[in-house]
Amino acid sequence: MTRGWQGIAAIFVLLIGVTAAARHSATSGGQGATSGSRSASFDKPGGAAPPQVTFARDIAPIVFHSCAPCHRPGEAAPFSLLSYADLKSHAHQITAVTERRIMPPWLPEPDSPRFADDLRLTAEQIGLLKAWVEQGAVEGDRSDLPAKPQFVEGWQLGTPDVIVKATKPFELPAGGSDTYWNFVFRTPVHRSHWLKAIEIRPGDKRLVHHANVLVDRGQTARLLEKQPGSGFGGMELTIESEVFDPDSHFLFWKPGSAPYVEPDGMAIRLDKNTDLVLNTHLQPSGKPEVLQPSLGLYFTDKPATLHPILLQMENDRQLDIPPGETNFLVSDDLTLPVDVELLAIYPHAHYLGKDLQGIATLPDGTKRTLIHIARWDLNWQAVYRYASPMPLPKGTTISMRFTYDNSADNIRNPNHPPQRVVAGNRASDEMAHLWLQVLPQGPTNHSSGQAPSAMRENGISESGGSVDPRALLQEAMARHNLEKNPNDFEAHYNLAALLQGRGELAESTAHFAQAVRIRPEDATANNALGAALLAAGRPDQSIPYLAAALTARPNYFDAHYNLGNALASQGDFTGALVHFRAAVRLNPEDANAEANLGSAFAETGNLKQARLHYERALQLNPNHQLARENLQQLDQGKTSDAPN
Amino acid sequence: MGRGTHTLPIAIRILVLATCLGLGFVTLRANPHPRQGAAVDLSGSPVDPWNASSGKVLVLIFVRTDCPISNRYAPTIQHLSALHEGKVAFWLVYPAKKESADMIRKHQRDFGYQLPALRDPQHTLVKRSLVQITPEAAVFDANHRLMYHGRIDNLYEDFGRARTMATTHELGDAIQAALNGKSLAAENVPAVGCYISDLE
Repeated sequence: MTRGWQGIAAIFVLLIGVTAAARHSATSGGQGATSGSRSASFDKPGGAAPPQVTFARDIAPIVFHSCAPCHRPGEAAPFSLLSYADLKSHAHQITAVTERRIMPPWLPEPDSPRFADDLRLTAEQIGLLKAWVEQGAVEGDRSDLPAKPQFVEGWQLGTPDVIVKATKPFELPAGGSDTYWNFVFRTPVHRSHWLKAIEIRPGDKRLVHHANVLVDRGQTARLLEKQPGSGFGGMELTIESEVFDPDSHFLFWKPGSAPYVEPDGMAIRLDKNTDLVLNTHLQPSGKPEVLQPSLGLYFTDKPATLHPILLQMENDRQLDIPPGETNFLVSDDLTLPVDVELLAIYPHAHYLGKDLQGIATLPDGTKRTLIHIARWDLNWQAVYRYASPMPLPKGTTISMRFTYDNSADNIRNPNHPPQRVVAGNRASDEMAHLWLQVLPQGPTNHSSGQAPSAMRENGISESGGSVDPRALLQEAMARHNLEKNPNDFEAHYNLAALLQGRGELAESTAHFAQAVRIRPEDATANNALGAALLAAGRPDQSIPYLAAALTARPNYFDAHYNLGNALASQGDFTGALVHFRAAVRLNPEDANAEANLGSAFAETGNLKQARLHYERALQLNPNHQLARENLQQLDQGKTSDAPN
Repeated sequence: MGRGTHTLPIAIRILVLATCLGLGFVTLRANPHPRQGAAVDLSGSPVDPWNASSGKVLVLIFVRTDCPISNRYAPTIQHLSALHEGKVAFWLVYPAKKESADMIRKHQRDFGYQLPALRDPQHTLVKRSLVQITPEAAVFDANHRLMYHGRIDNLYEDFGRARTMATTHELGDAIQAALNGKSLAAENVPAVGCYISDLE
């Protein structure tokens, strides 16, 4: 028998629900939103007649800063607000929407921490706008006008290194309710790159409420397309990742947002054979529209050295909202096992969401509001990045407190009359998710110069070996989710994958088995359990699970490869040959599959084919030791007789 | 809508007179404004939609090319007009002075409108219909009596606050009442959209 078989393809699943990141757009000619020293002050005490408020002196600085980034040609807003005439023709509307804080769209209450790109107007600014309209909306002295805001045309970050365009446009009907559509971008890169930014150009911005990019390393989303490139509908998207590589970046677009450039050391890895999936929320305009988004990819030569992670607070299981209920509470609490810095936060609910809060209780009992949205509006959902990272020490409990209104008084209630609503991915279902982007402090991340003692506290085990704090966080989340729901498939799977990575194979296999029990037809889980059993030297037990994985997904490379190994371990080389052939067909560039196919041929006596595949393996990887040694044995006219 | 509630009884009083005095008065009432302030069609010719509607129920829908809420209603407006074709005369009315005939033609093409359009730069029709917003509808019965003015339906509760679908249909109900010769519980339900008073 030829010498050993290549290792088993270990599968990790990362379930990603969302991404996001919002920044304010463009420069505004250096004009701040506050009125200058010359401006009228609206709240004059003492009952004196308020001074004349003018567009040129008082209103233009506010509007150029806070409105014009969206209210200009080519942007999301339906009309421009760049001149006196523009404002005059919407003057009462501007008063109405600013007074009720409908515009600019900014959901967090003032008791939230300070976020980057805060769009909230001050009370004085709102008062000035109102006074201006009440006083007749006069233009004033044009010499008072600030410089017109300057905006970058085209790609905001300059010409991208790579531009990818959606293969097929999406035709948005003229009317009807909001639509959720996913575009799958095939990225034309032939080697791995580091990305510092992805600029999202969603197409006609007036139609897009928000959009976010998911990195699909396993190219699984494209399986949902009816035809390659056609895209597919759906509000929520779950993407499996076959490596333990949490894509902890919010890649989010909302009207007026500028593309976010990742800080040095936090680049995004983009490998070949990776898809980028753009999840869009679209609103009909009244006429048929066509949308064909593009993504601009910006490379950097600075690899990722800081590794944030997305913590997902959720309690979808609690979501069982009776019709008529006006204040249904959903909560979740997670205690941090390591020190982290909180970078950004993304609350998410659907149309029944009412009051959304994230709160941190520090080990000393101090409470901090992480975000508070008192009037949730799905249409203006966004990722909120903190103006400066918020340190949260180990032992901090993060609490999600979301309330829901399932009464007829909630005008966004999708059911008429209201009906029982539970968790789900459709717009008429609900969600209770609070995502936090955190940078764990420990051996792999040293963003804040943490003291070595604290690092030991966080990330160095008793034996002195370091543990990735991300893994500790992932494990804490998985175990926490299993406490909430013992039948949580993703939690079992992710915990199993983490334990496998740490070498705790018995517990890992048990959790993979639980995952398969919960979803007996899940290809990835069956393959993982089969692989775990194979690694544990139980090939006979692994075979039914690997076969089940292939029943669920016939073109599953890993399952073919693993089943080939299992059958070979059992001495069934003819059977192994079939699966290694399939593996090579599915991934002709995998040297291990070629080498094992060569070995299977050798075992079945076809030395000519064996030689051919060993040589192919060596073409793919000139350093492939197994292929080289086996080829040498063929050349010597003999084969070894024991696998290892 | 304080202005509407004060003005409406006057209109009703006139209608009583019209009923008593017969056709001569109705003709006078139908075109009470100086010709230079009249609404015009896209070729610039003055049009009196009441005269042009030959005794049908008349629906005027006030829209604006750059008002997003108004635009989002295009399929609903087109649907309602198709539903009542032959019995109800629908007109789109553009009250913005700066919206030229060419802009309106393009708007009609873009949004698939197949309705006759009028420009109302002097706000003659605006005043007679008591409307303040785009989009806002005005329904007149065959006797030119203003039956209803206000929102088309309740899709929008406020700016940026839209239902997934409308649950009340005020314009459709008003048309049906006008066709059946019945009165409406509410002669005005405020609309959400762009203020006509902001237009020059």
